[in-house]
Amino acid sequence: MQESDSNAKRPASSTGLSRRAVLKAGAAASSMVAPSLWLPAHAADPVTLNYLAWPGNADATIVGEFEKANNCKIRIKEYVGGDQMMAVVNQSPPGTFDVVMADAEYMHLLKAANFIEELNPADYPLKDLWPEFQKFPLHWFDGKLYGVMLDFGYLGISYNTKMFTPKEVSSYSVLFSEKAKGKVGFFDWYLPSMGCISLSNGNRPPFDLDAAKFDGLKKKMFSLKPQAAGFYTIADIFSSMTNGRAQLIPGIGEWITLGLRMDGVPVDTIIPDEGGLQYTESLSIVKGTAKRDLARKFIQYSLTPRAQVAMATKVDNRKSIPSIPGWKLLNETKPKEAEILRMTLKGPYVMDEYKAKKIQLRQLPQKQSIEDWNDAWGQFKAL
Amino acid sequence: MSQTAEATRGDAVRPAARPGRWGLGAPNYAASPAALPTVLGLPVLLWQLVFFAAPLAFLVVITFWQVRNFRLEPAFVWDNWSRILGSDTFHKALAHTMQVSTITTVLALLLAVPAAYTIAFRLTARQRDIAVAALVAPVFSSYIVRIYAWQVVLSPQGIANSLITAIGLPALPMLGGAFSLQIGLLTLTLPIAVLILVFAFSGIDRTLVEAAENLGCTRLNVFLHVLLPAIRPALILAATTTFLLAFGDFVSPMFMTGSKPPTLSILIVDTVKSGSQWPRASVVGVAMLAVLVVVVGAGRWLGAERRPKAKTS
Repeated sequence: MQESDSNAKRPASSTGLSRRAVLKAGAAASSMVAPSLWLPAHAADPVTLNYLAWPGNADATIVGEFEKANNCKIRIKEYVGGDQMMAVVNQSPPGTFDVVMADAEYMHLLKAANFIEELNPADYPLKDLWPEFQKFPLHWFDGKLYGVMLDFGYLGISYNTKMFTPKEVSSYSVLFSEKAKGKVGFFDWYLPSMGCISLSNGNRPPFDLDAAKFDGLKKKMFSLKPQAAGFYTIADIFSSMTNGRAQLIPGIGEWITLGLRMDGVPVDTIIPDEGGLQYTESLSIVKGTAKRDLARKFIQYSLTPRAQVAMATKVDNRKSIPSIPGWKLLNETKPKEAEILRMTLKGPYVMDEYKAKKIQLRQLPQKQSIEDWNDAWGQFKAL
Repeated sequence: MSQTAEATRGDAVRPAARPGRWGLGAPNYAASPAALPTVLGLPVLLWQLVFFAAPLAFLVVITFWQVRNFRLEPAFVWDNWSRILGSDTFHKALAHTMQVSTITTVLALLLAVPAAYTIAFRLTARQRDIAVAALVAPVFSSYIVRIYAWQVVLSPQGIANSLITAIGLPALPMLGGAFSLQIGLLTLTLPIAVLILVFAFSGIDRTLVEAAENLGCTRLNVFLHVLLPAIRPALILAATTTFLLAFGDFVSPMFMTGSKPPTLSILIVDTVKSGSQWPRASVVGVAMLAVLVVVVGAGRWLGAERRPKAKTS
């Protein structure tokens, strides 16, 4: 009714706008635009930092503060999976990207492709990281630094807590049990899935296998076929764990189950006695970038306690962070989150498994090609 | 009147073609009965050449390229063909995809024929319109959303199992196998198959049915000897359409079975996902196209009118 009254008062106009209103809007727009005409060029045209990363890493909660402080815009090109990242890198002309976030196991391929440049260790607060990560082996080549750890997480067995007890899932042997028949879901990526099966076969490190051990791994993996519920994408892992279609999934971790648990889904992750894998996300500067200083600042910013806390508490993907000042700030500002994330300073905490040497780094196959492992994974799926 | 006389009279009436600005003469489409369709068809032909034939040719070319350091490089190697065609994974995926698509086709026809018959012959005009609208609506809705809806219905703790357990029966594993896969594929194909057959049944001359009935045919005989032969081309069209849609589908095998086991479309994605093996994925794609050609060819052959050969003696 109110609307029709106001319409009745409005002067007749084909667009419904009065001349006065148009003039007012024009004046307002001019007043907004005018100051920018007097600003320096760099302010009017913020620098864009091109960032190649996993999805969700250029959210305002993560990079907003950096963009504001440096009057820049982060433009992300997202990929899913290291192989896709390598494909993007190899098919993009030089200068396309300034910073890359990569899984650490791909760092040597990026270096071999001459895509990343050497970093000056003095530029980054490496001393702030947990001692175990200060000289992280996958970041150093011939004593030179090429990447800085941003976050990490462990991969073991994620399970439905209503169907399985922590004792039952304390060994990968649960995957082969009668109870698990048709209930084992698989993350459809050969690397973490086969890595966990390799660990269950007693291989340490799990990706450095001679021909006999690789055959043994394939045999063991193929014997899992009757147990398989399906092979899932990341999105389908969430739904299959929620609806109970998959009750055990090897090769994933708290990055999946923590968020689900907080939503009331009865799931948890355990690192079995045979050990687990660590994924590591790292930042590097792309070789030949014209924005080297800004790229360096971005990596420095990403290791500040505030940025680290933002990374650890990302709503869609909670992760462990390597920065001790980051842990301290998390405990001061979000003690409950610190407890849930097992990043309390008193422990028990996520570093326990690493210190107990239960964790192996996720790496690419050492003695076989990626293709060989992929083919084996394909054969397993097709059985 | 002879054709020659007709042509002569037409030429007399038609004004003489005047030379055009470029000396080519004014367009005179009536001069050749084939000219106008050719002109009208040219954009479609160009479209097909640019957006179908050329990419298809490129797809075949890529099968001979190779990938080095995750980068596609032009080459001429047979390795991709020998590797894919000799791979056990491909054979199994091909056999599985053929089997699944055949089952979907049979199920779709078994369900679609009586449904279409009922809609065409047993419903009032108004009811028929509503039924056709109900069949058309899903075609314009998101297939993936419908599949996710089925996941909610069929999952272990889903709607179907809630109803089953409510009456005291044990929950059934409905999601993640052949049953759920067929549900998904029929969700995609069944409305289309029914629509094709409804239009075919609706086009049948009712006097043929009445004549058969007047001559003493039972309802079953009318159906078998009058209706089915009359809709044979539509049956074949529905079958080939269903088969091809099921054969190339990615969504249902992925989300209703968890790609267990993989179909050819999943194999394409897997091949690209790991190692960026576009050439090998293209080999799988070309193989799928070859199956498509065979199926369409078989459909045309089966649907063709065949007259009995005249006796020479």
